[in-house]
Amino acid sequence: MTELTLEEIDVDGAIREAEDRVAQLTRRGLLGAVVASGAGLLALGRPGTARAVTKNDVAILNYALSLEELQSAFYTEAERLRKLEGKARQAARRVGSVERAHVAAFRKALGRNAIRRPRYNFGGVTEDERRFLKTAVAFEDLAVAAYKAQAPRINNRGLLAVAVSIHSVEARHAAWMRYLFGIRPAAEPFDSGIEMSEILRIVRSTRFIAGPPARTTRRSRPRFTG
Amino acid sequence: MTPGRRRLAVAAVLLVAAAAAAAFLLLRGDEPVAVEKPVAAQKPVVRPPQAALPSAPKPAFAIPQPKLLQDRDSVSRWSPVLRRTAAFRSPDVRTPVVGKLETQTPEETTNLVLVLDSTTTPSGEVWAKVRLPVLPNNTVGWIPRRALGGYTVVATHLVIDRARLRATLYSRGRSVFNAPVGIGESQWPTPGGKFYIRNKLTQYANPFYGPLAFGTSARSAVLTDWPAGGFVGIHGTNQPDLIPGRISHGCVRMRNGDILRLAPIMPIGTPLTVL
Repeated sequence: MTELTLEEIDVDGAIREAEDRVAQLTRRGLLGAVVASGAGLLALGRPGTARAVTKNDVAILNYALSLEELQSAFYTEAERLRKLEGKARQAARRVGSVERAHVAAFRKALGRNAIRRPRYNFGGVTEDERRFLKTAVAFEDLAVAAYKAQAPRINNRGLLAVAVSIHSVEARHAAWMRYLFGIRPAAEPFDSGIEMSEILRIVRSTRFIAGPPARTTRRSRPRFTG
Repeated sequence: MTPGRRRLAVAAVLLVAAAAAAAFLLLRGDEPVAVEKPVAAQKPVVRPPQAALPSAPKPAFAIPQPKLLQDRDSVSRWSPVLRRTAAFRSPDVRTPVVGKLETQTPEETTNLVLVLDSTTTPSGEVWAKVRLPVLPNNTVGWIPRRALGGYTVVATHLVIDRARLRATLYSRGRSVFNAPVGIGESQWPTPGGKFYIRNKLTQYANPFYGPLAFGTSARSAVLTDWPAGGFVGIHGTNQPDLIPGRISHGCVRMRNGDILRLAPIMPIGTPLTVL
């Protein structure tokens, strides 16, 4: 398997931007930035209450945010397009609301250290029920595996508690989507995590992360009828 | 003893035995039967080791209550054209071509279309129904979904009222902008129908168009030989005294202050209705 770089998947530069910004900050500086942005991570630095928030913790939060953004955009688009019916439609509506709540919480916690919101092109999978469910299963399974792999690396206990709470919610979503797609909700007695590089490789293979934005504004003399 | 007397005697003996048994049980009922009171002092109490189970850490931040989507009815979506394609009357390449789409506009911005609907064919291919920037105006057609990029949602809608000579911008159904406009003279009328905003041009040195111009998907039906195809714009002016009025070649003109007020609140892809 070819090892992929972040540049290949992060065509929008959002994840790299976050990593670069994190690397420029000391832990104290980082917490200062978070406090200045009104985010809620200040309490995490209190001595004796929890382990410190590290640069690695922030990077993991941004990684989780990128997956939550992907899921949120996917379900929201599917609901707006109204091509799903019955139980699939209900599931998209409910799960979408939860993924949006996850995104909102991560963005509030990260403040200005959060990555930019990427653009997506789901290429029709949100407009066809069978393809929607297949993709939803893949997304939810990926999210579960990603949280599982990163949780042991989180230094701050409060952040770990959040991650574990979301992990079980994503596992419920995975079981729900698997049931709707017609495959076993709980197929294995033991689940393994999946490393970030592999998760990004899989996300990249979907081609759902769009390239540069459309150029819709230009410094140019009009040739309209006047 | 006759058989009848024998049966009577047996019955009497059984009755006496049953009465004796009942009396015995009633007497025993005064005392607890086989129930032993626990004696705390006599049994060791098992307690969890306090030091080994500290309280669980509190989550660093809370997840807000999920909110269901509220804007499904008040948004539109547009998409960039990624690949040149023909648009067909139906989602089938064997149906007539109703227009062609390039990837760029004459102003060299990304071409885009307003997406109205979509469907999946029996072969599994997704097609999109789009509004086209072609003559005749108000043409819609079907193109393969793979020719388009991702969807962008807008919650705005611009309405030009040719009778009242006014422009109104709605956001989520609520009026947020209103201004007088100039429209086409009778020989070059501003076309009516449904269109969309497809680009924005700025920082050009031509006072005739004012400080800023929006391009639309509407085209003049009479000035077909106009450079770049005779597309209708919405722009400022160097003759504000003519507004409101029927004074243009088909474009919608606004006073410069109004077009500058409109620019930041009307995103590209906004649907346009000319009444």
